[in-house]
Amino acid sequence: MVLTNQLDKLLMKVEKPGRYTGGEWNSVTKDLSGIKTRFGFAFPDTYEIGMSYLGLQIIYHILNKEDSVFCERVFAPASDMEALMREEKLPLFTLETKSPVKDLDILGFTLQYELSFSNLINMLDLSGIPVKSNQRTEADPFIAAGGPCAFNPEPLADIVDFFMLGDGEEILPEVCKAHENWKESGTEKEEFLKTLVQIPGIYVPRFYKPVYREDGTIESIERTYEKAPVHVEKRIVEDLNTVDFPEHCIVPFIDTVHDRAVVEIFRGCTRGCRFCQAGMIYRPVRERSKDKIKEISLSQIESTGHEELTILSLSTSDHSEIEPLVQELMGVCRENNVSLSLPSLRLDSFSFKVLEEIQGYKKSGLTFAPEAGTQRLRDVINKSITDNDIYHAMEKAIELGWSNIKLYFMVGLPTETFEDLDGIAEIARNITDLNYRITGKRGRFNVTISVSNFVPKAHTPFQWFPQDTADLFHKKHQYLKDKLKSMKGVTFQYHGTEVSYMEAVFARGDRRLADTLIKAVELGCKFDGWREHFNYGLWIKALEETGIDPDFYACRERAYEEILPWDLIDSGVTKEFLLEENQNAIKGSQSVDCRRGCIGCGINQRVNCTMEGTL
Amino acid sequence: MSRYVVKFYKEGVLRYISHLDLLRLFKRSFKREEIRLQYSQGFNPHPKMSFAQPLSLGYSSSGEYLEFETTQPYPVEEIKEKMNLILPEGIGILSCSELPDSGKTLAAMTDAADYEISIPCAEERGVDINQLVEAYLTQIEIIVLKHQRKSGKDVELDIKPMIHDLKGFVDRNSIMLKCKISAGSTANLSPELLLSSFCSHSLIPYERTEVTIKRTEIYFTG
Repeated sequence: MVLTNQLDKLLMKVEKPGRYTGGEWNSVTKDLSGIKTRFGFAFPDTYEIGMSYLGLQIIYHILNKEDSVFCERVFAPASDMEALMREEKLPLFTLETKSPVKDLDILGFTLQYELSFSNLINMLDLSGIPVKSNQRTEADPFIAAGGPCAFNPEPLADIVDFFMLGDGEEILPEVCKAHENWKESGTEKEEFLKTLVQIPGIYVPRFYKPVYREDGTIESIERTYEKAPVHVEKRIVEDLNTVDFPEHCIVPFIDTVHDRAVVEIFRGCTRGCRFCQAGMIYRPVRERSKDKIKEISLSQIESTGHEELTILSLSTSDHSEIEPLVQELMGVCRENNVSLSLPSLRLDSFSFKVLEEIQGYKKSGLTFAPEAGTQRLRDVINKSITDNDIYHAMEKAIELGWSNIKLYFMVGLPTETFEDLDGIAEIARNITDLNYRITGKRGRFNVTISVSNFVPKAHTPFQWFPQDTADLFHKKHQYLKDKLKSMKGVTFQYHGTEVSYMEAVFARGDRRLADTLIKAVELGCKFDGWREHFNYGLWIKALEETGIDPDFYACRERAYEEILPWDLIDSGVTKEFLLEENQNAIKGSQSVDCRRGCIGCGINQRVNCTMEGTL
Repeated sequence: MSRYVVKFYKEGVLRYISHLDLLRLFKRSFKREEIRLQYSQGFNPHPKMSFAQPLSLGYSSSGEYLEFETTQPYPVEEIKEKMNLILPEGIGILSCSELPDSGKTLAAMTDAADYEISIPCAEERGVDINQLVEAYLTQIEIIVLKHQRKSGKDVELDIKPMIHDLKGFVDRNSIMLKCKISAGSTANLSPELLLSSFCSHSLIPYERTEVTIKRTEIYFTG
């Protein structure tokens, strides 16, 4: 069944119909007769957000390379479209062939953000697929998920059939191959899941059963299928130069958040910031070679006509060949009339030289993330920036003519006191003073202090810490607001505490939250990552109606010996290491960047860690 | 430096791609085919390229015009072939020709445009479409309410002088209006206004989302 005609009638009535049409350059069409596995790559947000996500392009490319697999895209329709679809009984469809999602074999969601869980549920509902896995029939597709939030998959354990952990390049084709074999065998769906657990990196939640104590903590996690692994090890692509990277990327017709050529230059990060989940779960650092990056860049520019190129990683400046790489990319861009953009640069002298060259007098804002206001607290979180680094970089920036500076901080970090907040204000004041000293003027210079609320994440050294209560967050925000409002040229921005609180609940939640999620969607929660859609009242109602105390998840300090819901997921970084780092944090003792020497996170027990001790 | 104009069609899913999105698509197509566009000078250089008339979202067309300047001359056949190779399904170049520099843009020279408006009719009404069109056109004035975006008010407007030609046809379950109406900067009539005005005068009920509108030609002065 193809829904083109039904869809056409709705497109005249909705905002940005280009979200729903497909047919873009480099999108793939296949003859369905040769296809054994129809895979839906589902992004639980709108087209514009999903199409800006590099992982989509990678997975789309990797899967469609396989002759027997057809990967199509599925996005969440915006509210106006959803209302019409429900009215006209038009089910959720794929962009490529406008097929109902229900016709697919596997629907795989990427989980980038906890608050997108509501959209996942809503998308299943829109597809006419029962939300809970035990209510689905043999005719329904398998529901899969991956991405960073799969590292604590438990809130979705009753909903998703299987999770894929770690890098997707190798595991996805393996899953499709297994699916093809299973399909030929003609056995029941359960049999497929039983074969899947033999593939490393696959977690099938129905094969595990947590047993809870009276106080709500986990007593044990029992396996209900003996062949399911005790720990699920994430998948690691050892050499990025050997896996395919998309060169013929889909080029959206309509304006998206990021509409540009993108090359991932390395995966992982060696810095070891203790709050950062990405820094832990993407280990070890694996670089793509300079030549490979250049080759991909050129090919992408040629096949897309993009006018901007960017390179992606967790910390651009840490690539071991960054200087020649940037020089050469600047050359490529100049020749092709393409602009180069370099995110997450460390503000050293090389970066300034490069920024000066690529931006010239057209300076955009400069951003910098000290994360905490005092050296003490930066030691706690292992953010290896000193006051000196900050002021040195700012001095240089002001001298070169930057007049818009944005600094990112977190509040609610473990051990934080009001003195640390004073530190944030002091940094703001010192920078405006610095500007006055250098330029002799106070006007036309702005420092934005942007503050987010710390959310403790699974698989980090801070996974045991409580989140600040809403009251305390409010006090801290107010305190900073009062301190900063009298400062000329300083703007203060902060995030709502309610969103951060819900993030904290689901970031470290367990399977008992599935009913809460389902209830919340029933009540109307969706697009919760969007400020204008997030409805705290409905979430609280859903929590109450399902008998869940959110503080148990967000604001409770865990004991070291407690079994955590995500303990059966093995990120390659050992729990012992996280624990040691937790204690180092409390002592305020820094750990070195692992390029300066191995600090024993455990990942090199699994794969070769090429970066250790290279500095 | 050379100046060209391409005539192209836009149909299918490409109907849902807006004016700005289409401009970007052309820009990227030229880039991919290595047809080097002339860029404007200044802080924010952009390629010298513009449409004769924007086409509303949802309309199809068999007569759109895009003018552009290149840094070097290209054979017109080569431009057409190369672009058709790369343009996505739903859009294609019908012809390409050199555009002598008259000091005026196509947008400034646009004078009128042809449209085909297709209105589905649910029941067999046995309408005499010719009579309806005649009755409509014999009015001394054809007054419509036009919404002024600036003031936010609806003002009365006589559109009769802007209707150069109007014919009606009945084809099974739909009424087709073919018209030539003013377009451009001096006088511009939106086919939406003609549609609503004609249908209300002729007592033809319709659902806007069921109506399809296609532009078939643009006329230029000079």
